[in-house]
Amino acid sequence: MTKEERLKKRHSAEKRFRFYGLASIFVALLFVLILVHNIFSKGSSAFMKTAINVEVFFDQELLEIKNGATEDQILEADFYDITIESLLKVFPAQDLDQENQLIDLFTTDAEIEIKRAFLENNNLIGKKINLEITASDDIDQLHKGNYPRDLPEDRRRISDFQLIIYDNLVENKKIIKNFNNYFFKNGDSRDPELAGIGGALIGSFYSIIICLLLAFPVAVLASIYLEEFAPKNKITDFIEININNLAAVPSIVYGLLALQILLATIQLPRSTPLVAGITLALMTLPRIIIPCRASLKAVPPSIREGALAVGASKFQSVFHHVVPLALPGTLSGTIIGLAQALGETAPLILIGMVAFVVDIPSTPIDPSSSLPVQVYLWSESAERGFVEKTSATIMMLLSFLIVMNFLAVYLRQKFEKRWN
Amino acid sequence: MELMNNVKIKSKNLNVYYGEKQALFDVNLDLNEKEVTALIGPSGCGKSTFIRCINRMNDVIDICKVSGNIEIDGVEINDKNLDVVSLRERVGMVFQKPNPFPKSIYDNISYGPKIHGKGETKSELDEIVENSLKKAALWEEVKDRLDEPGTGLSGGQQQRLCIARAISVNPEVILMDEPCSALDPIATAKIEELIDELKKTYTIVIVTHSMAQAVRVSQKTGFFHLGKLIEVGKTEKIFKNPDNKMTQDYITGRFG
Repeated sequence: MTKEERLKKRHSAEKRFRFYGLASIFVALLFVLILVHNIFSKGSSAFMKTAINVEVFFDQELLEIKNGATEDQILEADFYDITIESLLKVFPAQDLDQENQLIDLFTTDAEIEIKRAFLENNNLIGKKINLEITASDDIDQLHKGNYPRDLPEDRRRISDFQLIIYDNLVENKKIIKNFNNYFFKNGDSRDPELAGIGGALIGSFYSIIICLLLAFPVAVLASIYLEEFAPKNKITDFIEININNLAAVPSIVYGLLALQILLATIQLPRSTPLVAGITLALMTLPRIIIPCRASLKAVPPSIREGALAVGASKFQSVFHHVVPLALPGTLSGTIIGLAQALGETAPLILIGMVAFVVDIPSTPIDPSSSLPVQVYLWSESAERGFVEKTSATIMMLLSFLIVMNFLAVYLRQKFEKRWN
Repeated sequence: MELMNNVKIKSKNLNVYYGEKQALFDVNLDLNEKEVTALIGPSGCGKSTFIRCINRMNDVIDICKVSGNIEIDGVEINDKNLDVVSLRERVGMVFQKPNPFPKSIYDNISYGPKIHGKGETKSELDEIVENSLKKAALWEEVKDRLDEPGTGLSGGQQQRLCIARAISVNPEVILMDEPCSALDPIATAKIEELIDELKKTYTIVIVTHSMAQAVRVSQKTGFFHLGKLIEVGKTEKIFKNPDNKMTQDYITGRFG
C-alpha cells in the first residue's frame, strides 16, 4: 500500500466512525422522542376535566336545614334529593330509565360537589346558583375526543339518548373543560374522573425522604471509611466486591427481603411509606456508596499529603480537605440514587404498596401508594379514563426525575468549577 | 569552609522496604542545623524516600516499612508511639508539584496554625499569614487578593504559597522534594533565592535533579544510587573532587 492509500483509508475509517456515532445518537434520540410523544399525547388531556354547568336550586323543603346552619349540620344533611332534582333539570327525560341515563352523565360525587359549594357559602337556601358539576368518565372521554361514538349502540357504554343530551349540552355551551384539580388532590378511586395521584405523591415523598435519611449518612460514612481509613486487605476487598454485587442485585430481591424481615419478622405496618423508605434505602445504599467512593478517589492525593505535611491528623485531612472536595460528586451520586429509588416499582409491590388506597396518607405509617406503583395499578384498569391518567402520572414521575438529574448535574458543575 | 553547624538530624542504619522491594540500604546521614543539604542521584535512587522518613510521610503508604533510626535533636522519631502530628509540626514539607489547598490564599496559610491552636484570634492569624507570606517572598504579590483561590496563582507563586504554608506552623526543618521541577527558570531562581534566605532560620533538606541547583543552594550534598548513600560531604568537595568514582560519573553526566 502506498502512503496515499493508507492516508485515504485512515480518513475514511474516521469518517465511517463519525457516521456510526451520529447514527446511534440519532436512533437513541428518535426512541426518546417517540416515547415522550406517546406519553404526552395520551397524558396531557388528564390535566383537564370536563364539567357540566348545572343550575342548582337549594330548596328549603328538600334540604331540611336553615340558613346559618353549622358545619356539622350541613355535613350531616342529605343533599341527595336536591342533587337529583338539579341534574334532572338539565334535559327533559321521559321515563325512569332516561332519568337514570341522564344522572349517569355526572360523576358519582355530584352530591358531594354540591354540598361543598353550599359549605363555602351557606346563605344559599332558597337561591339558585350555577355550578360546574364534574362529568362522568365516559362523557369526559367523549368530550376529549377519545371515545368512538360511531360504534353501534350495544357496543358503547354511552347510549344514544346520552349522546343526544351531550350534543344538546355542547350546543348550549353547557359543557366546559377546566383544570383537573382532582388529579393532584385526590387519592385513588374506582371512578377515573375522581382518581388522582395526591396519595401517591405524598407516599412517594415520604418514602424518598425516609430513604434519604437512612441511606445518605450510612453511605457517606461507609464510603469515607472504606476509601480513607480502612486497611487495604482481603476483608476490605471482599466488602468492596460485595458492594458492587449488591448494586447489581435485582430490586425485587430487596422487596422479598423487606417482606420477610420488615413485615413478617418485625411486623412493621404493611403498605406504608416507612417500609417503602427502608426497602428503598437498602436498595439505594450500594448505589450511593459507589459514586461516593469514586468521588473520594478522584480527590488528588497531593491534597491529602499537603494537609498531612502541615501536621493535620488523618481525620483532619479527610474531613477538612478531602470530603469538601468530594461533596459535589457525593451529592450528585446521592440524588441519582434517589431518582432511581423514586422510580422503583417491584420491591414496593411486594411490600403491599400496590393496595387500593383512597385516603391521602397523613403520616409515613399510613397505608399509601407511590407514583410508579400507581402507574402500574392504573395501567391494568380497563376504563379509558385511566389510560390518560397513567400517562399523566408517568409525566409527573418523569418530570421529578428530570428535575433531580438536573439538580445533580448543577451541583456537580457549580461546586467543581469554583476552584479550577 | 569554617566550622560545620550542629547536627540536627541523624539517620543510623536506615532501611526502607516497599513490600518485597528494598528502597534504602543502611543509610547513615547527618544533616546540619541551619544549613541546606542537597540530595542528588538518578530517579528511583531513594532520595525522596529518605526525606519522607524524616517527617514520617511514608506512614501513609501501607506497604512501606521503615527500620533503623532517625533522630532529631537526639530524639528518636522512628518510633510507633511518637505522635506524627507534632513531628510534622516541627518538620514541614514542600512537594514536587505545588499542591495548594483549593481554598483562598489566606486559608491556605492559616490552616496549619489553626489546627495547631497557634493563632487564637483573627489578628494573630492575620499576623502569621502576613509573616509567612513575607518570608516566602510572596506577600507583595498577593497582599491585595488574600481571599482569592490559591489554585489561581501561577506555578511559581503556588510553590511559594506552599513554602509559606510550611513556614506558617513555625517548623524547625523544611523538607523540599524537587520543589522546582515543575517550574520555569525564573520561578526557580526566586525559589532558590528564598531557600538561601530561609536557611538562616530553618534546617533545609532539598531533593533535586539539577546539579546546578545543588551547587547554588546547598552547603552539603549527599549522592544516592540504587538506595545506597554513596557519598556525602561539603557541596564544594562533592562537585569538585569527589572521592567516589560513581559520584564523579554522575556529576559529570555520564549516567543518571
